[in-house]
Amino acid sequence: MNNVWTLIAASAIIYGAFCIAMGVVPGVAMSHLKPLPGAQPLNAQQARGRGIYVSEGCSYCHTQNIRPLAQDKVFGRPSVGEDYVYDTPQLLGTERTGPDLTNIGLRQPSDVWQYIHLWDPRAVVHDSIMPRYTWLFEVKKNADPGDITVPVPPGFAPSGEVVVPSPQAQELVAYLKSLKQVPLPGAGAK
Amino acid sequence: MELLRDNVEPEDIAIFSGFTLSATFWLLLSTLVGVLISFKFPYPDFLTSPYLSFGRLRAIHTNDTFYGWASVALCGAALYVAARTSGVALRKKRFAWAGLILFNLAAICGTTTLDLGISHGSQEYREWVWWVILLFLAALVCVFVCLVSTVARRVEREIYISNWYTIGAFVFTILLGITAYVPSYQYGMGQVAVQAFYMHNAVGMWFTFLALGVTYYALPKLLNRPIYSYSLGVLGFWTNLFFYPMIGAHHYEFTPLPWWFQTLAIVFSVGMLVPVWAGTGNFFLTMRYSWETVRRSYALPFIVVGVAYYFLGSTQGTVEAFRGLQALWHLTSYTVGHSHATMYGFITFIAWGAIYALLPRATGKRPSLLITGLHFWLATVGVTAYVVFLSVGGTEQGITWASGNPFIASVDAAAPYWVGRAAAGVAMFAAHLFFAYNVYLMTFAPGRETLRYERTPQRVSA
Repeated sequence: MNNVWTLIAASAIIYGAFCIAMGVVPGVAMSHLKPLPGAQPLNAQQARGRGIYVSEGCSYCHTQNIRPLAQDKVFGRPSVGEDYVYDTPQLLGTERTGPDLTNIGLRQPSDVWQYIHLWDPRAVVHDSIMPRYTWLFEVKKNADPGDITVPVPPGFAPSGEVVVPSPQAQELVAYLKSLKQVPLPGAGAK
Repeated sequence: MELLRDNVEPEDIAIFSGFTLSATFWLLLSTLVGVLISFKFPYPDFLTSPYLSFGRLRAIHTNDTFYGWASVALCGAALYVAARTSGVALRKKRFAWAGLILFNLAAICGTTTLDLGISHGSQEYREWVWWVILLFLAALVCVFVCLVSTVARRVEREIYISNWYTIGAFVFTILLGITAYVPSYQYGMGQVAVQAFYMHNAVGMWFTFLALGVTYYALPKLLNRPIYSYSLGVLGFWTNLFFYPMIGAHHYEFTPLPWWFQTLAIVFSVGMLVPVWAGTGNFFLTMRYSWETVRRSYALPFIVVGVAYYFLGSTQGTVEAFRGLQALWHLTSYTVGHSHATMYGFITFIAWGAIYALLPRATGKRPSLLITGLHFWLATVGVTAYVVFLSVGGTEQGITWASGNPFIASVDAAAPYWVGRAAAGVAMFAAHLFFAYNVYLMTFAPGRETLRYERTPQRVSA
């Protein structure tokens, strides 16, 4: 090929066709799935919590994607496309350094556990390598009226002070608690 | 064979030097971040701060190596190759400078926004928000204008194979960036489908094409013999173009993407053996009988390792795509090992090889032999150890899951390998410091212009 414009045009036409066939068409096709019966969009607080989950890059270590494999059964039923109707940006993840969180709202429904775990994961899981998210909390001498205090086990917080979750921590925990699979229609009682 | 200096316009030398210096800065920054986060596996309480947390720094590490280091380093080399193979000086140099400024602006804004927690979503290489990627795409358009204008003014009738690859890389990547970042059609699983396409094509239609393009120039130049087969190069170009766009979904096997769509990706992953083996076979056949030249060269050992990792990493990618092995390895650290075999073992080594091959010819200044040796061995041993540690550690993670242990057992099983990975990362970062010193010697260092000019006068452009 001796003409640079021919080379550019040929590359652009061929690759442009691939962009449409392998990028745009699957993108459009998979964007119009119907939500499963019983699935709810997030409320405002949970949606802000999801924003924090994205900002802090939680999904670099935690998938939200249960595979149809024996080793994934512990996390729930295999995910289906309809599970992600309200999930933009998508948070399926490509690494599972920590456990899958698709059903964390069922597995750990306790606010207290979630707050302690975010404050210091090693206070509840000895070998955990998750970072501490201390910036989502305030450490105070005394709790103010209306404050939630986190019952951090001794040795994991400054003594004589209280750990209070910030509104951001409350939003994140609200989001985590919302993560529950809904049953597939026709799946029957289990 | 004596190393001779090319007859190049001073501004072309400045452009090549500028791209290399800028890329080196981002290499140092992004790999310093990489080393830091690798130490957060054994020491999760090390530097607890939102701005230094794993979740934010991981994206900074990957994006800055991608967009700040490898893209800019290979663009600088590609422009130089375009001018040399066309027998003219660079045309529209202002666009090259504008591209360099925009690349840096994009990397600065991308790093800052990610560190503040402003992200397009945790989708690998698509974390920069739209206006940051727009700066990057504008940089691509600028460099593309300079590249095409230069090749269009070439003296030879044929377009040299290097320029096929590099021009293609720009066309593909500009189209790809637009496809990936137009938001209005991607929701939920639809965004996953686009991410599969984007993420893998950003590697294979951008870096692979750029790296192969500069290799097709640097390798015959360094060996002083023609490439083994021009036709194999052309075969590689077309098969890469036709097979690569099909394989992205192999990153999302066992997800709700349609089963047949995943199977299609696996089939074409096997097809990728054609361009990979054609390219690596071509390079190794060009090098045959020349091992003494390779041993004596500053640059050739880097290209040898780069081509070897192109072969190993890409073949590994094909094997990894098979469902039986994905079930074991997917979501484990094995994948991170694979991405370093390719983005580091292949792409980064080729970028170094090209810089060591071409920058001294431009500036007339040699790097230090000792420092180059230290750079080479620390980086080669470092990345090999890195890949081995994560491959073994990742396999242990996968086996632990498959044996039905509690999840934390997989963390315990991989922990020693993560320590090994951090140590390998330190060796790699040390190699980058030596490289940076060599870049200084090849650019700014005074009184090092020892290379004699080539006899052939340059055909100066009007």
